[in-house]
Amino acid sequence: MRFFRKVTCALLLLALVAFPVMAQGGAEAKAAPTGPVSIKIATWTSNPDQIALLNSFVDEFAAKEGIEIDAQFESIEFGEYNTKLSLELQGSEAPDVFWVLETSAPAFIQSGLLAPLDEALAEYNPDDFSAKAMELWQSNGTTYAVPFSTSPFFILYNADLFAEAGIPTPEELVAEGNWNWDTFRQSSKAIKDATGVWGYQTVDGGGYDVRILHNLCPIIRSYGGDAWTSDGEILINTPESVAAVQLFHDMVYDDGSVVPPGDQSNFFAGAAAMTAAQVSRVSNLADADFAWGVAPMPAGPMGDVPIIGQAGIGAFSKGDNVEIAKKLVAYMTNESCVARMAGIWPPARKTVLESEDFLTSQPLLTADQMSVAVASSIETGRVLPSHVMYPQIEVESRIVWDRLWTPNADVQSVLDAVAECYAKYIN
Amino acid sequence: MAIKHSKLARGEALTGYLFILPQMLGFLILVLVPLVMVFVYSFESRNLLFGNMGFTGLDNYKTLIGDDLFFLTLKNTIVFSLGVVPLNLVLSLALALYLGSASAGTKIVRSVIFLPVITSGVAWAIVFKYLFQGGEAGPINYILSFIGIEGPNWLHERGWAMTAVVISRVLKNLGMNVLIFMGAVMNLPQDVLEAGRIDGATKPILFWKIKLPLLMPSILMVMIVTVIGSMRVFDTIKLMTDGGPEGSTMVLVYYIYHQAFKTFNIGYASAVAVVLFIIVLILTIIQWSLRRRASFYED
Repeated sequence: MRFFRKVTCALLLLALVAFPVMAQGGAEAKAAPTGPVSIKIATWTSNPDQIALLNSFVDEFAAKEGIEIDAQFESIEFGEYNTKLSLELQGSEAPDVFWVLETSAPAFIQSGLLAPLDEALAEYNPDDFSAKAMELWQSNGTTYAVPFSTSPFFILYNADLFAEAGIPTPEELVAEGNWNWDTFRQSSKAIKDATGVWGYQTVDGGGYDVRILHNLCPIIRSYGGDAWTSDGEILINTPESVAAVQLFHDMVYDDGSVVPPGDQSNFFAGAAAMTAAQVSRVSNLADADFAWGVAPMPAGPMGDVPIIGQAGIGAFSKGDNVEIAKKLVAYMTNESCVARMAGIWPPARKTVLESEDFLTSQPLLTADQMSVAVASSIETGRVLPSHVMYPQIEVESRIVWDRLWTPNADVQSVLDAVAECYAKYIN
Repeated sequence: MAIKHSKLARGEALTGYLFILPQMLGFLILVLVPLVMVFVYSFESRNLLFGNMGFTGLDNYKTLIGDDLFFLTLKNTIVFSLGVVPLNLVLSLALALYLGSASAGTKIVRSVIFLPVITSGVAWAIVFKYLFQGGEAGPINYILSFIGIEGPNWLHERGWAMTAVVISRVLKNLGMNVLIFMGAVMNLPQDVLEAGRIDGATKPILFWKIKLPLLMPSILMVMIVTVIGSMRVFDTIKLMTDGGPEGSTMVLVYYIYHQAFKTFNIGYASAVAVVLFIIVLILTIIQWSLRRRASFYED
């Protein structure tokens, strides 16, 4: 009996000691690559068609290079993208290639997590990229990521609700030369009064929190204001910015025509007449049971100031397959791949943008709609403000922005407080 | 003979240690090592993107003292606990006393009360976010409109947001405490209660003077667990309010998450975590000593 106990104890001890050693051995065995190269690609899209398109680029690249690639796509939810990605980049599950949010581009570039791409890009006519579109993704003349999407915001509208309210559609107002923030506000209120349906839903319903700048910057900039400039000048509390934010605040609380904070009514479900969106959202309307159309963002006193949302793709500088990853990023953003992505993610390559094919690249939009709402805005548009401390700015300013979302909020004093918050990090 | 006995004792002890070794290893690797690492990180300028930028001594703690947001989150955590703990204790004790007196239908009531405990916290928070929608779209406001009350924009108005979060959290965890209290209520010494009744104790006197003191060990134990749970709330806040509006529902654990994973400031987040650890430790020690004093029949 005692012998049996001793043997059991010895076996237990052996197992406890041997397990980590075997695990280590396994890890070492894994480190020696044999067979296909494993490439992990992190994105925030989970759309199977979009993933299939990206995967086809990987297959083409593998065939071109004469190697075998086992591509794994990881779709991370947009709201948690930076959190999960940054954790993975510090651990053993880091992606080799990953998408980068425009707002975190400066932080990622400065952190050294993105590999320089110029050498790999040289093969694919890098001069073709619009210099303006590349600004955010370069530092000291070196390119760290490539904007695969340079997508302007425009207005999607429910034509049935405009007809029911008996008012001209945004496209008709554009044709009349009368599409501005005042007529936008009037249309929104007219629809709410006539149909009871909300006139406007903010970008993805996140305009009061996670997408606050996406929501307000188009209005603010067309009024001549801004959040802050690249020179570090804070403009969020200038009279122009205040007037713009006041207009939106009045729409929410005086007119009651905008889906308010906390309400989950959705444009794509027919519960709002207008929303701000990008080309990638148009696919949500493939099965819409209402007639719809697109128009550029309304103009303000400073005219039409398009806002562009960008997303970049880069290679992890400390990955096991960094050289292949760099070449893959360069390949995925070559003229051919970019042309095929153009209907989902408008490109930064001039040759593609200027081609006739680009205008017909999104099957749900007509060439005219692509021209008016997308193409014309890309060359003249501006990206949202960014900063190396953007994550801190976003978290801290959100608390101040919240003060705006009450009926009696003093817009000027809230924006003064936001400016003070920005100043802590930007100046 | 003595040597033989000693060998046997040592052998048995070794066997015992070997059997608890896996558990101890798990504790060491998954609890103790991370805990020590958090303490170490709290003295470093460590960033999730930029890595360790060096030892900075007490800098993170100095920053914490001047951080208004930290004190706001500390206040919010206290408010949240003061809302959740008494409400949870009173409701669960009342329900346990009612259900403990085994009347018809209590089995169904017990199951209904316990259901939220086995429901996913994420699903629970999402449902309550929907229920607490503002305006006409929210089911709770819709019901309130029938009795002529215009409900607030629950999750987007200061005060109301914390109320909504507290209600959601209390209902989620009520079942577990009811279960613990029911065990205690059912095990109350019947002879003592009977003696009280014979001596002419009314129901309120029976409750305040006999049942409550006898239930005190369970009450204090449940209180410790509920306080610690309330200090560690995360999923409800993350999914229902995201810490808003104006940071009015941002509690300490959520602030740690924000600092570590939204602004990537692991060093500072670790300092806040250490402070939270110390707060919970002190509260637990206080409550434990109270348990010894209040439980007159415990050793």
